[in-house]
Amino acid sequence: MTDITRRHILGAGVAFAGTMAMPAILRAQTGPIKLGTLTPLTGSGGSYGPSMANTVKKAADEINKAGGILGRQLLIISEDDQTSPEAGLRAARKLIDIDKVSAIIGTWASAVTTAVVPVCSQSGVFLSTVSGAEPITLLPHQGFLIRTQPTTTLQGTKFGEFALSANAKTVAFVSPQTPFTESQFAALTKTVTAAGGKTTSLIYDDKKTTLRTEVDQVLRGKPDAIVMGGYTNDTAVLVRDLYRANYRGSLFGFGYSVNKQLVDALPADVSEGIYTLSPSPAEGSNAYKNVSRLLGVDSPDTYSCQVYDHLNLIAMAMAVGKGDTGTIIKNNVRKVSQGGGERVETAVDGLKLIADGKKVDYDGASGPCDFTDIGDITDAKFRYEQVKGGKITLLKIA
Amino acid sequence: MLTYILFMLVVGSIYALLAQSLMLSWGLAGLVNLGLAGFFAVGAYASAMLTTWEQAPILVGVSVAVLAGGLAGLLVCFSTLRLRDDYLAIVTLGFAEIVRIVASNEVWLTGGTDGISGVPVMIARDTGVWFHLGTLLITVAAVILVYVLQRRLLASPWGRALRAVREDQTVASVAGKSIVRFKAQAFSLAAAIAGLAGALYGHYTSYVAPDQFQPLITIYIFLAVTAGGNARPAGAVLGAYLLVAFLEATRFLAEIAPGVTALQAAALREIAVGIGLVIVLTLRPDGLLPERSQKAPAS
Repeated sequence: MTDITRRHILGAGVAFAGTMAMPAILRAQTGPIKLGTLTPLTGSGGSYGPSMANTVKKAADEINKAGGILGRQLLIISEDDQTSPEAGLRAARKLIDIDKVSAIIGTWASAVTTAVVPVCSQSGVFLSTVSGAEPITLLPHQGFLIRTQPTTTLQGTKFGEFALSANAKTVAFVSPQTPFTESQFAALTKTVTAAGGKTTSLIYDDKKTTLRTEVDQVLRGKPDAIVMGGYTNDTAVLVRDLYRANYRGSLFGFGYSVNKQLVDALPADVSEGIYTLSPSPAEGSNAYKNVSRLLGVDSPDTYSCQVYDHLNLIAMAMAVGKGDTGTIIKNNVRKVSQGGGERVETAVDGLKLIADGKKVDYDGASGPCDFTDIGDITDAKFRYEQVKGGKITLLKIA
Repeated sequence: MLTYILFMLVVGSIYALLAQSLMLSWGLAGLVNLGLAGFFAVGAYASAMLTTWEQAPILVGVSVAVLAGGLAGLLVCFSTLRLRDDYLAIVTLGFAEIVRIVASNEVWLTGGTDGISGVPVMIARDTGVWFHLGTLLITVAAVILVYVLQRRLLASPWGRALRAVREDQTVASVAGKSIVRFKAQAFSLAAAIAGLAGALYGHYTSYVAPDQFQPLITIYIFLAVTAGGNARPAGAVLGAYLLVAFLEATRFLAEIAPGVTALQAAALREIAVGIGLVIVLTLRPDGLLPERSQKAPAS
């Protein structure tokens, strides 16, 4: 096994370098239209990404069964961003350069999205994301970006109003450090202080297995309400330690962290009474029912609903623009998402209408899906829920 | 395709710099440095902050990054003088986590978890493939420079003394070698190389954020150095390029595996990395290019 000489290595190196001189394969105009999903399948986002990738794949299958787009089939290639900007960037490069996808769907962590945006806009690949951090749509993306997640500022404001409606005067914001922590707390504070209340914030390390000292510190301020800004795993730890510390005020959390998984993992009286807030999927809409049917679950999560909408919008934008490039998607996505036309809830219906030369306006599983010039959604409904007796029950959608 | 290969070669070159850093501190000086990601981050942040916010030229940023890495290395080394093996490993791992957590939380200094976007690049981005090719040439030049430097150092009496310190501190000390000085020099130099790697990475991807410097990077580099040979610069460089090739190859293998969902494919890739390491350690415990025993000079 010692026969690897420097000469061999040099030889292999030269051979490898030689491959670089080969001409790039020209983009095929026939064959399937390729789209990529880049969701976290492993790492801290690993509990959200798999069903997102699954939704896109199944939704694409339905479009294919109905005849595809412009007579061509959709091919979905799923990559794992490992919830890391470094790995995410490598995966994005593979999707763009090897698979030649026209669009990447579903980046989840804000840091991954920020890393991938310049690569996409430079390569003319359309990117649709579910990241909520404020600065993302302000990046120089030349229009190649849309997101269906309401910005974190809006979510912070809603949390403030929600807490006030539960008669809270002092509100503590407890969260791990994330790209949206600051903007969310600022918006929360603005809302609460405007109504004469006050706020405090505490940042914890989301990898700790107990948060008892943090809980003690928060409770010293005797808050009427605690808003929890973390994800499922660390929120479970926080809720448990708050219960142990005998906290009697009201608790507020994101719908994506205080979810069925968390409620099932904790005894019913620990999670009792937690209020949750989430960007509301358009429950009752056909699009929402479709996602539910595709995934085989009663209440699909907001991210799966959002990527379902991404795929539908991209599919219809390509049909309207009669082409398969990222630029065509960019130029046409707002023609199918807003601005009047026949209201459709699936791409399958929309594609038929487009083929007949009609205008469409897509309303999706995550909401009306109308976008501003920089790619934010213009309108979002929120879903207010409360945990009662180990079940998440709906309070209102507004 | 071409862009993809160039991109991976640049990433491989960055890894090759990190691998050489680890080879120096771990393979030659025997200092297990689990804080590699930390020094990588220090370099990336130093250069990104200077060039993005203070509009300093990139060359200045990179130089400061090398210095900052070296200084951080010196600091860690002097605070761990009495530690070796497992204890040193734990402290350095702690250092990397401190860097990451400080970078996440000291928003006024580092921009927090948003990171620093829009870091200036070395070759203009709108030059298409030249952007990647030019950056590749620069990073490969850096790899070669560090490689030549390491070869010179290793062949010198300094390199021999360093290996003596690694093999047996007491004997080296009896022979009149200052253990502390050798360790500090090696560790600091290694950290400076990692700082250089960080700066180049930031100037290629234009984005620096705490999430990029998770301990996983350190593990990857340990894998690369173990596979290539942990006491030879050529081994470290080879290992790094092979690692990137392997990581990317698993992507395509997982894709052609029949009847595997995206989630299972992701898990399979992680399994493949683990199996790869086990195979390398079984077949070639000293790596592909094991250390050559040096003959004593004739006189």
